[in-house]
Amino acid sequence: MYKNFILFTIFIFLNTQVWCQSGTNISGDPFVYKEWQSFTKESTQGRLINDHIFFLEADGDSLWIGTEGGLILYAHGTWKSWTEENGLPWNVVMGLAKDPKTGELWLALFGEGIARFSGGYFEHFTQMNSGLLNDVAFGIDIEGDNVWVATTAGISRYNQVTGEWAVFTEKHAPMEEVWTYNVDAADDKVYFAVWGGGILEWDVKTQIWSEYLDPDGEMEIDLYRDDGVAHVITTSASYIDGILWASTYFGLSRYDGRNWRGYMDHDSGLPSSFINLALGRSGQSCYNCTDKGLGVLVDFETDTWVTYKMDSDNAKTWSAHVMQGKEEIEVIPTNLDLPNHFTISVEFMGNDIWIGTGHGLARGIGKGYYPGLKISQDKDKTETNK
Amino acid sequence: MLIVVLGWSLFGQKTQYRIYVGEKVCRNCHHLQGSRNQFNLWRLSKHSNAYSVLFKPESKQIAELSGIDIKPSESPICLGCHTTAYNVEDWERDDSFHFEDGVQCELCHGPGSEYIDINTMRNRELAMQAGLIMPEKRDCMICHIEKNSHVSVLNMKKFNFEEAFQEIEHSGRGGGVKPENSLLAKANPTPGPKYMGAMACANCHGTKSEGRIYSKWHSSAHARAYAILGTRRAEEIANEMGLSGHPQKSEVCLMCHITGRGETAGQFMDSFDSVQGVQCESCHGPGSEHMIEAAMLNPDTSLISGLRNISSELCIKCHTEDIHSQTFDIETMFPKIAHSKWQEEYHRPEYKTPSNLAITQDGKRLFVACEASNSLIVVSTESEKILAEVPIGSQPHFACLSPDESVVYVSNRASDNVSVIDMNTYRVLSTITVGDEPHEIAVTQDGKVMYVANAGTYDVSVVDIEKNKEIKRLAASRGPWGVVLSPDGRYVYISNNLPRFGEFRTKPKSEITVINTKNSTVAYRHTVVDANLIQGIAVSPDNEFVMTTLIRTKNLIPMTRNIQGWIITNGIGILWKDGRVDQLLLDGVNDFFADPTDVVFSKDGRYAFISGGGAQEVAIVDIIKMKKILQNATDEERRDVLPNHLGLSSQYVIERITVGQGPRGMVISPDNKYLYVTDGLDDAISVIDINKRQRIKAIDLGGPKEITQARYGERIFHSAEFTFGRQFSCHSCHPDGGIDGLTYDIEPDGLGINPVDNRTLRGINDTAPFKWTGKNPSLKRQCGARLAAFFTRIDPFTLEQSAALDRYIVTIPRPPNRYRTGKELTEAQRRGKLIYQRIYDNSGNPIPQKNQCGFCHSFPYFTNREKFDVGSASWLDTHSVFDVPHLNNIYATPPYLHDGRASSLDEIWTIYNPYDTHGVTNDLTKDQLNDLMEYLKTL
Repeated sequence: MYKNFILFTIFIFLNTQVWCQSGTNISGDPFVYKEWQSFTKESTQGRLINDHIFFLEADGDSLWIGTEGGLILYAHGTWKSWTEENGLPWNVVMGLAKDPKTGELWLALFGEGIARFSGGYFEHFTQMNSGLLNDVAFGIDIEGDNVWVATTAGISRYNQVTGEWAVFTEKHAPMEEVWTYNVDAADDKVYFAVWGGGILEWDVKTQIWSEYLDPDGEMEIDLYRDDGVAHVITTSASYIDGILWASTYFGLSRYDGRNWRGYMDHDSGLPSSFINLALGRSGQSCYNCTDKGLGVLVDFETDTWVTYKMDSDNAKTWSAHVMQGKEEIEVIPTNLDLPNHFTISVEFMGNDIWIGTGHGLARGIGKGYYPGLKISQDKDKTETNK
Repeated sequence: MLIVVLGWSLFGQKTQYRIYVGEKVCRNCHHLQGSRNQFNLWRLSKHSNAYSVLFKPESKQIAELSGIDIKPSESPICLGCHTTAYNVEDWERDDSFHFEDGVQCELCHGPGSEYIDINTMRNRELAMQAGLIMPEKRDCMICHIEKNSHVSVLNMKKFNFEEAFQEIEHSGRGGGVKPENSLLAKANPTPGPKYMGAMACANCHGTKSEGRIYSKWHSSAHARAYAILGTRRAEEIANEMGLSGHPQKSEVCLMCHITGRGETAGQFMDSFDSVQGVQCESCHGPGSEHMIEAAMLNPDTSLISGLRNISSELCIKCHTEDIHSQTFDIETMFPKIAHSKWQEEYHRPEYKTPSNLAITQDGKRLFVACEASNSLIVVSTESEKILAEVPIGSQPHFACLSPDESVVYVSNRASDNVSVIDMNTYRVLSTITVGDEPHEIAVTQDGKVMYVANAGTYDVSVVDIEKNKEIKRLAASRGPWGVVLSPDGRYVYISNNLPRFGEFRTKPKSEITVINTKNSTVAYRHTVVDANLIQGIAVSPDNEFVMTTLIRTKNLIPMTRNIQGWIITNGIGILWKDGRVDQLLLDGVNDFFADPTDVVFSKDGRYAFISGGGAQEVAIVDIIKMKKILQNATDEERRDVLPNHLGLSSQYVIERITVGQGPRGMVISPDNKYLYVTDGLDDAISVIDINKRQRIKAIDLGGPKEITQARYGERIFHSAEFTFGRQFSCHSCHPDGGIDGLTYDIEPDGLGINPVDNRTLRGINDTAPFKWTGKNPSLKRQCGARLAAFFTRIDPFTLEQSAALDRYIVTIPRPPNRYRTGKELTEAQRRGKLIYQRIYDNSGNPIPQKNQCGFCHSFPYFTNREKFDVGSASWLDTHSVFDVPHLNNIYATPPYLHDGRASSLDEIWTIYNPYDTHGVTNDLTKDQLNDLMEYLKTL
């Protein structure tokens, strides 16, 4: 038994080395967001009505912003906001989802259910007036005609055509826990981050649930890094290009349908393993909102990261740290000057990115943006000379 | 064969599904002499024949008076009391079960699968644990409670339970199981035609052929010929004939009282059931060869296959001249059993009831959607002749031409689809499924996208015309009704008939929904305050504003204010591009313009024409004058004064032209000379000369000229003639016979107290008593003097008018249930049904019978028609006992509870049942409550 354990440990160790060595040489440069526009309540003279930015949802060239104090639409330099005073059913907007089919915006309201924002009018659904499972709604997303809601008591699904509400808790799905933090829906799969229950997958075609737990159980260390999701306390799921990105309070995981890959602050460019939200930009790249800045895995193959953070509590601006794995390659200054790098939300808008923090909102200007790595002219020459 | 499924653990105990096995199984032990004579007694009773009578003409009349516009033999409500186990899924009935057997043992005694075992049945307590029910009076009264429809058609005497019970009394115990078909020994089949039994004939001659043949036989003495041998009189006759033993065992008796006696046992198939008496095959010969459909469809082939020609010689073999000391005249008797059809048919005139219409670009043809005749009528404006009448779906509502005028689209309100009809051949090319109760339609200028307002599902269908398919649904408010495309094609405007859900006892707020055609998304949802019944909608030709019809219902104030002209006022809404909505009245002082229904603009935009359904007029609004009034008013006046100002309309309403009965949709001729108006209750099109401002003629759509009592009542229902100042009609609060979604202060109990939710009139005749207090035993009482006293404030209806109104209201059909589309329930609905029927709570505690759902809300109407205190009284109520509402199509009538406090079904239990006085529900988890909601929607 003991012998088997040692052999297994060696096997895991060797595998881990292979993973780590797969991109030992940076073959190019990652794109770094050096130019930013920052927005706080103060800097916008209150037009950004609240600095606690919980969720961002791009809508073409416009941005929907869910905050602790209301809903905001930022469009071409103008701000429009909704609070309880002008029809928003509840000020704390935790999640947003734009229905690609109907164009309507759905809101997850912390403590007051969900709302459909349609043509300037809010329709309010609560656990009292509808089949919504619980009013503490954390996340919301759309799959076909279905609206999926992550709530503190489990998952709700509302079919917009039939009007049927379905509920999924430990009685109906393989849920270790019911406190569901986040949902990400695609045409074929819907993923849920369940606080203490790992990742839950709903297969749209087969209507079957699958669960992904940390084989290490609830240990706060990841004994075998790539054996499954990093931890069962998951905070978000992001599914893109057939790849699942899952964030936890103990690291990031990537799952390609067969293999898992784990990332933590001690072995990657993550500024912290405490991740509030992970958002995949592709199957190769993922943006991670942590309590200590934004950690961007730019290129999965080469394990290249760019981490945006304040280097000290007194820093006036954030800096971008280009890293390969844990190894820092370069530090690049940026003009990002938000006073707090507790990042909560991130969104893509064409080449630009938006981040929401505990104190303000910022837009990274993606002029010249490229995905992955780009071979610089200097490196190109070096390679040619070789 | 029995499928008994043991379900998952629910309500603290195993859930056991019970199966209906049919009378044939019960008969095994209960059809012998003495105390085991239950089968004979039942077979000779009306219960046994209850299904067959549904095919009689009288049943159609009863159904009509019950708001049932489908065949009685297909109506869940009729079948709920006229057969057994209709309210269950297919798998809950065994193969031995047949609807045709009418009210069988198991309707009263419960599904038998678990208690039919002889050992179980020997122990009454054990049997009852296994589902045996020993019914009480209240169980019988669920069906036998007096029904107005039945009384008025059948002239029935009042049901006396004690007498009736005596009639069907069948106490006694069963006996040992007898071999199946014990009258015939089992044997291997022999060559030649075999007897199949009447039930096999019913496969084609039952419901498929309107059931006349099978039901006629089933109602005849032939079908009871075996059972009658079990009577005392039969024994007396047998004695008189010198026969020994029981007649049902007598070879002599059986020779004429069952089919096939004397044949060899091998000539009977398993399906043959000898106790069914003299069956089809006694006369027509054994059917195994000729019953094949291909053979039966050809008279020659059927004869070759063994179908016998009927002659008197065949009859007189049994019906001898001195049979049982009675003379038998075949000439007299034969017509009595003739079963090609019932001897008298119920005739009901079929009106057209034109609703809306469209006109071609050359102005030569009108396409008229006719709700009552389920057809589209094409009319030549030149010859005024009908060019075609095309049968389409149920209750066609609106017609819309494609931009290239190749097809016409017609919404079918009760079929939930849009018919696509070729404008040249008048053939229906296809139907497109949309949401529930589709009303108006608009098609984009390129002809590629269609928008359909679904009044039932509160949304708008977006249809890809090339694909002939709905591609998405857009949110709207409640009861989307009118649809119009803006002249620039950028927007579609939707009117919403019902107000949004609001706080308890607040003024109605309605909505105009705006859709951006560029991406088919909702662009704006404009609020129209203090208004409801926003139906007609049009955009001014210069695209400057949108005009809607509306009414302003002051439902918060007591109806006594009627004489101040303050209950319902009628007007128009004007939506400007900045989202501002003005409201102006069309009413004059003491001369109201009730029920504005449709609006169209003259081609030059100078005038708007508004049809007044209750006023039976068309109002002409001068747009320049109208604008001037608005421009000269302050913001406060536009907000607070003009919407209620009864003295202003004479400044912009330049004419009110009387048209026919029930005016609805309108179109303008392309040359701007004529206005065509559907006179819905005249079956005609009014033609108005716009320059002369006169109705110059009416085009007859060919409906029946006879005005039935119900049609007369329909006219009264839609006319404001009977209210003070002609303010409103019955239709104003009950559009389409449904609801307006408001609560009212009808002051008989005092001012400002006892607010009551408006209730639907669809299919309510047999749900008496009426009124939330349950004080009115009949609709006549509800709509007669009471209406005059509290609503209309004028002289009451005459007796003739009252009777006609009553007659019409009872015929308002209940739409099909949209949540019960197939025979099978969904998983959620099935789980919900178990919760509805549960007798234990989640902790395993028994739920008192009076607090079980089915106690008050019992099938088929889901009301026991009694009054009950479910703890729903509010601080505004002076009493707490209310009428138990029926639940049929309950999903369609929010808000709920007697005062409309619950905006959704959920709220009835999540908010307003804190002490489990309205059923035990506080133990339910959210998923269970959701399941219950899903089931309730199927009722």
